[in-house]
Amino acid sequence: MPRFVRSIWIVTAIHLAIGMVAYAHFLIFRRYEFIAQYFAILGSLFFLLMTAAEFSLALICRSWFDADELMRFAWSMIALAGLARLAGTGIRIGADGHLPWDLRQWFIPYRGELFANLGQLGMVIGGPLSMAFLAFGLGRVLSIQRRFRLPGSLTHGDKALIVLILAFSISQLAINLPLLRGQNSLGTILLWMSDPLLALLLVQAVLVRRSVIRIGQGLLAKCWGMFVVAIVTTSLGDAAIWANNHNFLPESLTALSWYIWFIPAAAFASAPAYQLAAMSSTRDLHQVNAL
Amino acid sequence: MSLFSKLNLELRRRTHSVVPAEAMLLEPASAPGLNDLRERLDRWGQLWSAGKESPDTSAQELITERLTHWMRLCFGERMPTSLHGNGDPVSLSSSMPILTAFLGRRATRELSRRVLQGI
Repeated sequence: MPRFVRSIWIVTAIHLAIGMVAYAHFLIFRRYEFIAQYFAILGSLFFLLMTAAEFSLALICRSWFDADELMRFAWSMIALAGLARLAGTGIRIGADGHLPWDLRQWFIPYRGELFANLGQLGMVIGGPLSMAFLAFGLGRVLSIQRRFRLPGSLTHGDKALIVLILAFSISQLAINLPLLRGQNSLGTILLWMSDPLLALLLVQAVLVRRSVIRIGQGLLAKCWGMFVVAIVTTSLGDAAIWANNHNFLPESLTALSWYIWFIPAAAFASAPAYQLAAMSSTRDLHQVNAL
Repeated sequence: MSLFSKLNLELRRRTHSVVPAEAMLLEPASAPGLNDLRERLDRWGQLWSAGKESPDTSAQELITERLTHWMRLCFGERMPTSLHGNGDPVSLSSSMPILTAFLGRRATRELSRRVLQGI
């Protein structure tokens, strides 16, 4: 496993281990103080660390490509997606004031009408905007893969999954479109775009996954595989929120479902780390000596 | 005449040729030199395309082995066969476009240097 990827998953494992102690405390004492502190402080710091790693690693990957290379655009978009996630996380943490050192004093009070509050602006930047950038980036990766005939043909299961995803997105749009007539802020409307964009990313993830299955488990295949893991776990997190909103989950499982969000954060950071490992392996003397 | 044109004319007048006039006369290459060049180009052509008629099979095998190693490392264990089919050997000409597309020119240049090291 490449050095950066190993570091990302070691930090994630330690973070989740501490999180499990907080969860055990919640299960035993049925009190939210400890677990709430864990998510507010350690959880926020973890998201900041991972999004910063994702952005900086994607930026380094981009710098390895010349301006006229096709993958330069893909990595520019992926870096922008990382930057949007980092900015969104920063704004939300600052606006919520969860960290012990209150950051709200550094923020200009939001008095606009486009967004309900500063936290919603952070959610839009870190959610739909970031997803849109990622969709552009993955679209370019898929077009280059198609040029080399890397994606394998879709199975019946893949097609069924894509139909299911599209049906869910259309049903969500059908619910949300009539609400457009109401007094909704731009932020609320933009947040409704999350589901269709996530559906698009899932379709792209299915196509990318096919190529990974076809070629094996090399460093670049793992880079694309990490995007698939990140998108699928983001969808799982979304599904857990939906289930919780409809009271399908017991209290203990609801708290456990919050931990899902750490996995996509780590997977998004691991993807550029694998790409960087593939590119820098050409300068790695261990690899050269292995020849 | 514009200022730029005047400057350009003056510059041309003052600029002297860096190559002496006698050196510009090209001599026809000798037959052994041309043959040597032809042999080198043929050899590189065969190494580039992994031609089966290549007399230099040991170099060819080394290149195929090294390229297969990089293709497996970067893409995956099934990549050499899924890209080239089971019959055709992995060659520089077939591998370089995909490696350049996904790794970038700079990394591929480094990689090709490693592959051709000592050949």
